[in-house]
Amino acid sequence: MEDQNYILFESYLSKELSQDEVSAFESRLKNESDFNQAFNTYKELSFFLEHKFEDESASTAFQNNLKTISNTYFEKQEPSKKVMRFKLWHYAMAASIALLIGIVTFNNFSNPTFNDYNNYKTISLTVRGVEEALLKEAENAFNSKDFAKAEIVFKRLLVKNDSNNELRLYRGIALLELDKFDEADSLFGKLSKTPSVYKNKAIWYLALSKLKQKNYDACLDVLKTIPEDADEYKQAQKLIKKLD
Amino acid sequence: MSEKKIHEDQKYIDGLLKNNSFIIQAIYDKFAPKVVNYIKQNSGDSDKAQDVIQDTLITIYNQASEKKLQLTCPFDAYFFLLCKRKWLNELKKSSNKEVTINEDVLSKGDEAQELAFETSVFGEKQALFTEMFQKLGTACKDLLTATFKIKSMEEVAKSLGVTYAYARKKKSLCIGKLTELVQKSPKFNQLNN
Repeated sequence: MEDQNYILFESYLSKELSQDEVSAFESRLKNESDFNQAFNTYKELSFFLEHKFEDESASTAFQNNLKTISNTYFEKQEPSKKVMRFKLWHYAMAASIALLIGIVTFNNFSNPTFNDYNNYKTISLTVRGVEEALLKEAENAFNSKDFAKAEIVFKRLLVKNDSNNELRLYRGIALLELDKFDEADSLFGKLSKTPSVYKNKAIWYLALSKLKQKNYDACLDVLKTIPEDADEYKQAQKLIKKLD
Repeated sequence: MSEKKIHEDQKYIDGLLKNNSFIIQAIYDKFAPKVVNYIKQNSGDSDKAQDVIQDTLITIYNQASEKKLQLTCPFDAYFFLLCKRKWLNELKKSSNKEVTINEDVLSKGDEAQELAFETSVFGEKQALFTEMFQKLGTACKDLLTATFKIKSMEEVAKSLGVTYAYARKKKSLCIGKLTELVQKSPKFNQLNN
């Protein structure tokens, strides 16, 4: 399906077409089966996404409540465990398990480092149909961990459009990887004060930057400002526990 | 749907939708034992039964809130059929073997069967859509998340630092991309037939 059609779907669904355009659209729905199929899937997906994000908090509350009730119910159902008679080798086994747990927890408690956290997902900056060479270059450099090159390209891109928060975030990460902490921190700091969707990510990376600089107190302070509804909240809490 | 009489057990659906702990508890007390027994007798255990029941209730919740599910049959039959279907699918997945569904339960009234079928297709579609959404690039995922959370396209554009026209265009292209991913998956064609 051509990009143009998807744009048309969107306009139709948000009722922005003129009377004539609507008739033309509806006659295509009748006569072109591919067009019809794609439109129906598009509509279904729009509806799905709308619902998924709109009612997210109600749905999470339901799932948590359900889990609690379900756990209580199933614990009650479990028959009481028989008391096991321990033999010598049981003790030996228990001792070795305890030792193993000891080693694992010890490792967990050792200080976390930046390298535990810098596994970035592949980024994708270009949308099909809106190819731009420079964006592609930045994307490739970042994904292949060539952060020096990525930083240069992000910088050039930002000259053109300095309010693109997505690019600013990635440039910050590149700077962080290059140990250019001052620049990185100031960029994350600015981003975290914008009302953008990258706000919490910026706070998270600011914390990671402090972690990389081994400034653990500052790292903790930053981590504690990540709000509960942020995607990064869970991992932030984990890191706080490890650092405290 | 409108001519069909809504069953009094609709109270369970409404209770789930309102996250009413009392009703959820009642569902477990009344309807879970049968499912647990069935799963235990068919190569499962109580942990597996717990997962199946939980997933099934989440699917019912989602369908109720997205599609205004109306129960036209007893909850018991509907719920059991759904759990059973889900469990048989799990078995199929893990063994790659053809699992035969024994017909005795399926003949307990067309209404329950139809409704359970509808719900399970709905659930499978949701799972597929979620999976495909995860396959989108970060740019698309972020934009769509922002779009549907913030709602006003102007604000979305502002928060992403792009123009309104660009954000709108990108939104349709991203849903377009998702449409293509979904349409290409064999699972989708199976579900739509």
